[in-house]
Amino acid sequence: MAKLNDEAVSERLYSLNLGPQHPSTHGVLRVLLKLDGEYIVEADPIIGYGHRGHEKMAESRTYEQFMPNSSRIDYLSGLIYNHGYTLAVEKLAGIEVPERAKYIRVICAELNRISSHLLWFGTYVMDLGGFTPFLYAFDDREMILDILDRVTGSRLTYSYCRFGGVNRDIDAEFVSMTRAFVKRLRSRWSDYHNLVTKNVIFINRTRNVGVIKPELARLFGVTGPNLRGSGIGFDMRKIEPYEVYDRFQFDIPTGNNGDALDRYNVRLEEMEQSCRIIEQALDQLPDGLYRNEHVPFKVKPPKGEVYFSFESARGLTAYYLVSDGSSTPYRLHVRVPSFGNLQVLTDVLTGTMVADAISILGSIDIVVPEVDR
Amino acid sequence: MAKKDQIAQRLEQLLPQDAICRDENYRAGVILAARLTADKLRAALQACEEAGFFLECITGLDFTDAMELVYHLNCYEPGSRIALRLFCQPGDTPPSIGDIFPAALWHEREVHDFFGIQFKDNPDLRALLLPDDADYHPHLKTFGKTHAYLKWEDVYGKIK
Repeated sequence: MAKLNDEAVSERLYSLNLGPQHPSTHGVLRVLLKLDGEYIVEADPIIGYGHRGHEKMAESRTYEQFMPNSSRIDYLSGLIYNHGYTLAVEKLAGIEVPERAKYIRVICAELNRISSHLLWFGTYVMDLGGFTPFLYAFDDREMILDILDRVTGSRLTYSYCRFGGVNRDIDAEFVSMTRAFVKRLRSRWSDYHNLVTKNVIFINRTRNVGVIKPELARLFGVTGPNLRGSGIGFDMRKIEPYEVYDRFQFDIPTGNNGDALDRYNVRLEEMEQSCRIIEQALDQLPDGLYRNEHVPFKVKPPKGEVYFSFESARGLTAYYLVSDGSSTPYRLHVRVPSFGNLQVLTDVLTGTMVADAISILGSIDIVVPEVDR
Repeated sequence: MAKKDQIAQRLEQLLPQDAICRDENYRAGVILAARLTADKLRAALQACEEAGFFLECITGLDFTDAMELVYHLNCYEPGSRIALRLFCQPGDTPPSIGDIFPAALWHEREVHDFFGIQFKDNPDLRALLLPDDADYHPHLKTFGKTHAYLKWEDVYGKIK
């Protein structure tokens, strides 16, 4: 007969690897958790699985050649990254952009922001066990991909912007498709709220879960919807308006408690605000050139540097470019918002339960390849 | 008083006059750039923390004659980004600021990965983005393919 295990029960910490291939973690992130029973004592995100060395690549290719890389750093808001990179180089090199191109860029960037938030919405609710809203979100997102596919030629990694404009012009079909999309998305809010926002299980799993206090957010450099969920209305589109964002009426939604529910509400409201921007931009869309034709084939910015920041779907993003006067950047550094947004988890996850960890991890909307670069 | 003026005052008290360069046009995306020495680094960042700034990122730059660390800080007000710049030579160990801004813990790990700079008193300098067994520092200009490896002056001009 097998001897019963009569070893005394000892209290000790238990290590659990959340990831790297857990179905509810996005990208390939691994969080090493130290558990005391169900409670997390220490959380250590281990990143770098998706490190591709974009910054190093930039040092051996021209400014134009880095364009496709820019939309691959964060593949969910690729067009916004592409847009920001173009703006940074244009600022450094002093390139003029026609009015029409500015509006086209803003419309496409906001469409991309909505598609990123929709994907987050779908996957987050799926993390929490609801499969249906995911399909709803992807149904809507598909329309954006069709619109952007039509004008940019790709569905995910857009390299649409060019120095001094955009790749190709938009047409009447694009405008009517975009207007139809905005109308349809607005008609879907009630479905989303009925399915998810008013769902008791969802509320119980998000309210007062993963609270990020404003002070903690500042020390860790948290930005974007996560910071706005904590009640600080910090958005680069409002604080330092770039492109033509100062010509539109839109609000910066904020939360009160900084919990997962606030972050959820902020993102849903942000989609509505993006719709407002798109509508106004379509109304104001001027005629004219979509690309400055006098931009040289090889852009050579003067010696010096620029630190250009913009608001991606996840927060304050910045390109830091150092130019030595040649057609290749001497150094390119990307400040990615997910870096700080993920690092704050080392503090936030401590003391919570494992089930909440999934909810918190989903609620901060990280894109791991963006962290890894 | 705006936070950017507060911090400008504090830095002027802390640093010599010619170390601070203010740019109202925001041309390089910063309102103020200050040249630090390693012994003033912690005091300057402590002043930033007290003034309500947050750390955006730490960037390493590699030149033939020096390495440079650039600390970009911002607060939640328009046009307030500042840059603190520190020269360091190979083998230097600049002090860690992880206890002032916890965000720096990861940024310093990243700079350590890419440039091999040891930060004094950083409790955890394990590889962050590189594999655990990486014994190379890929952002050094001597590693891999780069088109230029210049002196600091060749990019920024003479320090006045």
